[in-house]
Amino acid sequence: MSYVYTVARLRGMENHILDTAFFSRLMDSSGIDDALKALGETSYSQWITGPGNFDKAIDSEMLATCTELESFVPDKELLDIFRLPYDFHNVKVLLKGLFKVRGGELEGRRYDLLSKLGTIDTEELTNAIETEEYGFLPYGMTDLIPQCWQLWDATKNAQAVELLIDHAMFAAMLKVAEGLKMPDITRWVKSRIDAENLKSAIRLARMKYDPAKALPFFHEGGTIRPDDMARLMNEPQETWGRLLSHTDIGAALGALQDSGDIKTSLSDVSKSLDDYLLKVLEGAKYSMDAPANVLLYLLTKEAETRNMRVALVCVAGGLDREFGRRLLSNGRQ
Amino acid sequence: MEYLGLSLALFGAALAAALAGIGSAIGIGIAGGAAAGVMTEDPNKFGSCLILQALPGTQGIYGLLIAFFVLNKLGLLGGAGAVALNWNQGLQILASCLPIAVVGWYSAIWQGKTSAASIQMISKKPEAMGKAIILPAMVETYAVLALLTSILMLMGVQVG
Repeated sequence: MSYVYTVARLRGMENHILDTAFFSRLMDSSGIDDALKALGETSYSQWITGPGNFDKAIDSEMLATCTELESFVPDKELLDIFRLPYDFHNVKVLLKGLFKVRGGELEGRRYDLLSKLGTIDTEELTNAIETEEYGFLPYGMTDLIPQCWQLWDATKNAQAVELLIDHAMFAAMLKVAEGLKMPDITRWVKSRIDAENLKSAIRLARMKYDPAKALPFFHEGGTIRPDDMARLMNEPQETWGRLLSHTDIGAALGALQDSGDIKTSLSDVSKSLDDYLLKVLEGAKYSMDAPANVLLYLLTKEAETRNMRVALVCVAGGLDREFGRRLLSNGRQ
Repeated sequence: MEYLGLSLALFGAALAAALAGIGSAIGIGIAGGAAAGVMTEDPNKFGSCLILQALPGTQGIYGLLIAFFVLNKLGLLGGAGAVALNWNQGLQILASCLPIAVVGWYSAIWQGKTSAASIQMISKKPEAMGKAIILPAMVETYAVLALLTSILMLMGVQVG
């Protein structure tokens, strides 16, 4: 199938993406029953069976979207780039569970945290990791998982293991993107690495971490080199946007400049970086056959599910609605 | 060498019909792909999609028109027998066919791409159908100009 067909079909599907006005209305619901009633006319209604299961319903909606796209997107690797982080998330969940079990915590396994959005079937992945049969695992996991065990045995540091997995994930994403030979997709992956590194830099600065020791926390492959990222931590955070003004991501750091308080700015920066990653691909909207439209649609849908989760958690938990509104991403306007 | 003029003229007619027709087929195919994608989500848009998909088909008709024009000029229609042509006259007819052959072929493909983009546009904004037709119709202008050029050139060629 051609990308002309694919993009045209995505344009039709975009009409069903819920906009920010809908989420604002959802936030105004008096309670969870009222909110679920409002969802009655959306595609989420087919998955919702009661007030308690909206989390699973949101996952089912995203999984159904991926499955539908798989049936007509010419390059499956485009979907893999989106789904691959869920595989690595599952590896983290399974390994952490096993670390706990080996440490004597028999109920350490958390299969409920596994995501079905990954490219590898969760049962197969669980079996592979628990039986130490990594041979068939893709994306360099065959080598990665034994390395994780070695690191765990040597340090007992779960955070270091997570970091190792994240490094491998971004390397795998970049490899898949470069294999596609689609410059927009490679650019997006590099931007995503930059965004993750910036989030790490903000968190480390918040913890007053020594910039000289921060290098291992940054991933390779972005447009901004890890040592430049570490150097940034020596500067006041309100100047980061100006210092990175020569890069595309510099403009996304407005929230850091506006806020003098590094603690309150983290969620705003995180939101504006998510919006920035959508903007990286927005040029594809004006093309009738750009493959980047596939990734753009998936990210918009993911932003929708994120907004849905924020809105329903706020409504169900009776949390501050204004704070919830601030957390909503600008998925579809 | 006796039939070289006639052969050149017929080659011109064949080019006009074939190249413009191939361009139209490709253009309609591109627009059809987009129409199928949109209709998978919303089958009610069939009418709008069909109009936009049909737009790149005109170049094929223009090519056929010029081919008929040439065959008529050569006396091959109506059973009266072919007129005598020297190689110079044949070459003139071949040259007259080139504008619609080349422009028809290329413009139909681009019109198909513009139609596909317009089909995607009406998928999101059905109320913009008028604007959606105008955009690919702009490409049509140059196919019409090429058709006129071919007709005027053919009218200028003296045979018989």
